[in-house]
Amino acid sequence: MSTPDTMSAMEDRLRAALAARAELVRPEDLAPLAPVVPLRPRWQSPWVLLATAAVVLLILGVVFQGVTGRQRSDDVAPKPDAPQVTLPADVGRDWKTDDLSSTPRLDLDGDGIKEKVAFLAEPTKEHDGRIRLQTTLSSTGEESWGIAQLQSTIGTYTLDPIDADGDGDQELVLPYDDLQGGPDAPGHPLVFDLRDGLLVQLGVDQPELLQLGNVQVPGSETEFYDLVRNFSYGVEDGRLVSTRSVRSFARGNMTVLRPGTIVRDSWTWSLDEAGVLHPEPAGCLLETPDGRTTPCPDGARDGIPDLAPASTSTLGVGETADFTEGYRFSARIQPGDPILAVDGSDGRAMATVLDVPDPRLATVQPTAVFYDGASVVVTSASDPSRVEVLAQRGNFMPELDRAGDIPLENTADNRTWLAEDGTLLTATAAGDGTWELWQWQLVSGDRITALPWGPVCFDDVEDPSTGHAC
Amino acid sequence: MEPAVDITELYAAHRLSLVRLAVLLVDDFASAEDVVQDAFAALARRPEAVRDPSKALAYLRVSVVNTARSALRRRRTARAYSPPHDLSPPSPEDAAVLAEEHREVIVALHQLAARQREVLVLRYWSNLSEAEIAQTLDISQGTVKSTASRALVALEKAMQKSSPSSSGKEER
Repeated sequence: MSTPDTMSAMEDRLRAALAARAELVRPEDLAPLAPVVPLRPRWQSPWVLLATAAVVLLILGVVFQGVTGRQRSDDVAPKPDAPQVTLPADVGRDWKTDDLSSTPRLDLDGDGIKEKVAFLAEPTKEHDGRIRLQTTLSSTGEESWGIAQLQSTIGTYTLDPIDADGDGDQELVLPYDDLQGGPDAPGHPLVFDLRDGLLVQLGVDQPELLQLGNVQVPGSETEFYDLVRNFSYGVEDGRLVSTRSVRSFARGNMTVLRPGTIVRDSWTWSLDEAGVLHPEPAGCLLETPDGRTTPCPDGARDGIPDLAPASTSTLGVGETADFTEGYRFSARIQPGDPILAVDGSDGRAMATVLDVPDPRLATVQPTAVFYDGASVVVTSASDPSRVEVLAQRGNFMPELDRAGDIPLENTADNRTWLAEDGTLLTATAAGDGTWELWQWQLVSGDRITALPWGPVCFDDVEDPSTGHAC
Repeated sequence: MEPAVDITELYAAHRLSLVRLAVLLVDDFASAEDVVQDAFAALARRPEAVRDPSKALAYLRVSVVNTARSALRRRRTARAYSPPHDLSPPSPEDAAVLAEEHREVIVALHQLAARQREVLVLRYWSNLSEAEIAQTLDISQGTVKSTASRALVALEKAMQKSSPSSSGKEER
């Protein structure tokens, strides 16, 4: 883990490296300045302005393109390349419709009569070709078409139509789902508008704000997890709306640690004359566990996970616990070394020597850590800081190794508890009375690591169920 | 009476520092010169765009950052990016050499996301405040703070991953 000292050292090193790199560019490296005539204030003669501007432009090696109306400096600073809008090629007239695709009806030409749009699928072996959007305009009787590239030509469907420029005609919204990226892969919409008689796919300004699913926060990847923000989009009252969670959430081992209540930023999307959708901030939304969103009340913040009471029931040497959820097994601590003996319902018998003084066996299985077999938590009656997790590996029951920066211990600053719902949690003291909450997950092989839930405050730190959002 | 920007004076006064800023963002001298040239060209086309000449440098800085980002995006889009200093004719600065300890940092810096790199360069080379960085990048101060924090962590990890022996050549 990076400490303040190492960060400070990194900052110093970065500062020095940047300075050194920048100073490789020396004044003499720059192309020489040509003699120039300074620009005059622009309230002076337009001829003087034109002549002096031309001289400067020659120096700069650009073509004079004229001076237009008054604009803010922010408006004319070169922006990253604008999205391009292109007319579709006239291909696929002989393609066939797919039986599973929908046939949306919407008013593309704004005459009050809805057009029926057919999706013609490009025939390919993998059903991964293009789709021709085919319709006949009610206002002119002419054929119109567009071309879409989705990941599959099977089962094409649309969302409700939108009118993003408020001009009275409607735009067609096709969800693009990343089928090959798995259930967690982000998607986004393709929006088509009737322009010059054709269905043109609109450009998107800031496409990073128009997505669906969990999207990695750049640079957040660690060895065992990364951070994601949750995105959504949809159509509300004829407007395309998108949202993004304000906070990011840890994702690891196919799990995203996301509380039920989260705060989202939202945008509505407007269409400009050039065919580009632009986001407009639409305020803060609070999403509740049932999936409904409402405008944020004052002080809205993310919830924390439902914290089940700590499981305090443990067994000592000679006692047997039966675990009946999922893989059924019984476990007991035998005297001697001591030894953890596990008997599975399928007849497997496993024995592991425990390296824990005065071991105590939790009667709740840590199912949130490992569910596909036997797993137990062992603590110590004589050393309250000790917490061990053992999980079945074939016919063995090894102790899992801790990985990452969070210690698996129960101390004053690292409170660790097994909850009655099978989650194993650690709260690390943040130093200001608040705590950082972590949940333990099996990550690879015999290793477990703690994934961050975020800040949490406790009314009584001895009772984890009193935790609440700070 | 509304003052206008003296572009020639700006050009003479700030070109070097802006090319240095650009070279930290795009990491090759020729592209950096182009980026700065484009920034001045944009200003020359619209000198009235900056009503207050004292804000011209901030305007140019925004322009350089945006144009540098576009240049990098074009490289990626073309899927033909390789370190330009391997392809371009030798530039005057090729005579200079970056020390190994600095080279490691610069190589790692260019493995970061564009936004992270921009925040780090503006903060640790341009010495801008969080508010100024937020204004330059058109993001909130909170985003500046969190981006900088994560970028430093990412930079450290990128440096740990890159083996000094994997690329024995010196920075040019």
